[in-house]
Amino acid sequence: MTQDIIIAGGGRVGFQTAELLAARDENVTIIEADENRIAEIADAWIATVIQGDASDPDILEEAGVGGADTIAALTELTGLNLAVCLLATQLADGIRTVARVDRETDGAYDRFVDAVVYPGEAGARVAANKTAGRGVQTLAAVTGNIEILEISVAEGAPAAGKTLADVSFPAGTLVISGADGSRILKPETTLTPGSQYVVAVEPGVVDEVLQLMRG
Amino acid sequence: MSSHDQREPEAELGLLDATMIGMGAMIGAGIFVLTGLAAEISGPAALLVFLLNGVVTAFTGLSYAELASAVPKSGGGYAFVREVFDDFGSFIMGWMLWFAYMIAGALYALGFAPNFLELLHVYGVVAPPDQVGAVILPVVGIGVPAKFILAFVAVAGLVALNAASTAASGSAETVFTIIKVSILVVFVAFGFFSAGGGGETSFTFQNFDPLFPAGTGAFSILPAMGLTFIAFEGYDLITTVTEEVENPRENIPKAIFVSLAATVVVYLLVVTVAIGTLGAEELAAAGEAGIAAAATSFMPTGVPIIQNGGALIVFGAVFSTITALNAVVIASSRVAFSMGREGQLVQSIGQIHYRFGTPFVAVLLSAVVMLGSVFLPTQSAGNMSSLFFLLSFIIVNVAVIRLRQERPNMNRPYEIPYYPIPPILAIVLNAILAVVLIGFLIQTDLLALLLSVGWLGAGAVMYVALNKYRARGTTDEEGQTPTEQPVADRPREE
Repeated sequence: MTQDIIIAGGGRVGFQTAELLAARDENVTIIEADENRIAEIADAWIATVIQGDASDPDILEEAGVGGADTIAALTELTGLNLAVCLLATQLADGIRTVARVDRETDGAYDRFVDAVVYPGEAGARVAANKTAGRGVQTLAAVTGNIEILEISVAEGAPAAGKTLADVSFPAGTLVISGADGSRILKPETTLTPGSQYVVAVEPGVVDEVLQLMRG
Repeated sequence: MSSHDQREPEAELGLLDATMIGMGAMIGAGIFVLTGLAAEISGPAALLVFLLNGVVTAFTGLSYAELASAVPKSGGGYAFVREVFDDFGSFIMGWMLWFAYMIAGALYALGFAPNFLELLHVYGVVAPPDQVGAVILPVVGIGVPAKFILAFVAVAGLVALNAASTAASGSAETVFTIIKVSILVVFVAFGFFSAGGGGETSFTFQNFDPLFPAGTGAFSILPAMGLTFIAFEGYDLITTVTEEVENPRENIPKAIFVSLAATVVVYLLVVTVAIGTLGAEELAAAGEAGIAAAATSFMPTGVPIIQNGGALIVFGAVFSTITALNAVVIASSRVAFSMGREGQLVQSIGQIHYRFGTPFVAVLLSAVVMLGSVFLPTQSAGNMSSLFFLLSFIIVNVAVIRLRQERPNMNRPYEIPYYPIPPILAIVLNAILAVVLIGFLIQTDLLALLLSVGWLGAGAVMYVALNKYRARGTTDEEGQTPTEQPVADRPREE
């Protein structure tokens, strides 16, 4: 099932994170104040955009913080990001919070947010992994557009329990190996629920692959 | 597995393609199937019926344009309403829209059958449609009219096609629509040219006098509007493919408006010719094959290859109904699929088939209702599907207003001009048509009304049952999370 995810800050990191999550078919809402950025995001047609300041509780409510699964504060300002996460925790019980911070902190923020993204690794793929936080992880060190995903096959998903030869993946997909990385998969290998597989996917078909493996 | 059994991803659609999808869905079958029925209710004023429906539906078109530009989702009306209303509101919207499409499928299949028989008749393969006898089923030994068998076979064939492949894509729709519109243009042109001929069946404005039928007068256009409303539902279909359209935030609103305007023009010309040549009474008598009957009356005979010019129009009707049927088989299954993915129907409905890549369960479930509905009278099918489109469009307009109130700062690349007048007008006008239609059903078509109420009742039961099942299942789901947790927790990228 799709998750509702709010991303505060539609700059480079926020935008690319939203792009990756939208490709996974998650339900993304971006909060952004700058009109030019908003126009660019709207052109990409990946997320609903709320125009305003993410530290304004009314704006957070408008973005649907009450029903959201996760909020990721990904602006360039550490203080603002932490404030947004703390506000969100106050406004919505049990929401997952992810904050982008500007220096290595050694767990200092762990009491306040569920995950932090550091500048050294501030790529959108890391942010997307931490924001989605389940079943699907992008392996970060890849050039170009192809996504190398580590996907855990969900119980009850269409591909669960089928052999690789039986499942017809969309063009632009290559199932490489199990997560232990010791075997290249063969057509007769069964996709076992609960196990993880490394899959190379072109961005346009990520959602279909996830529909097959995650349900 | 790069070379093993892979499917091609879908192509990008341009403004023309998106417009054609909308026009194709609208011009599809409504005009061929319902013109005769509209003439039966309101006489020559059927012309006004199509015009006013175009106006009413344009207001809802504005709402669709605003939502489609602001909410980047491909699920059509259901996806937009899901953005605004939490559980029950969006569930009932999806439930009604799903039904509307399925019944529309039955309607198109029922329109396909007599036109197909007419086509066979033109070439002397079978007797005239009304004289084709029942086909005796070998096993059960009862006679079933050929019309139902044909409608049944058409639905079953397209369902099988769509269950097993994703090939029926949007770009083919462009070619289909151009063919349909061209055939109608030929129809209109020959109809007007026949005005000079002075023959018995040539075009004359005397057929429009009196405009309104004797007994019921001007009010007779209201139930006819309700019945034919379905002829304008195409913009919902445009917004179900938004994801594949390039530059959607500009092209989708444009496609909605252009397809609506072009469709209204085509309808008005076609209805004018049909009534002007055949007269409302004969048109009404021809029922689902009204346009085809009108064409056969004035099209030249002795044309090379196809022999009878009228056959071209009959072919147009057959082709339009079958492509529109295909479109709603896809649309209905996509609504069910979206509901399944959102957790509003059982999970398996929201899953694609591991081998075919299609929303297999959703297609099959939609097929069951469609196949069951081809045994309805055509008019009941038209009434029911129009009623459910009217009701779901009311919800869409309410959603626009609520979204403006709850999310005033949401980015809206396209904004409805003169807000809030258009959505309010849309709600009022759609509600009037729905009420008139329900009143008309109470008087003439209790079966359709009972089935409609039954579907809503079944929806309520389904909703409650699913929520009960979920509430019981939560403990199980929590038990499962640990198996998924390792992936999420593992700090492999750090």
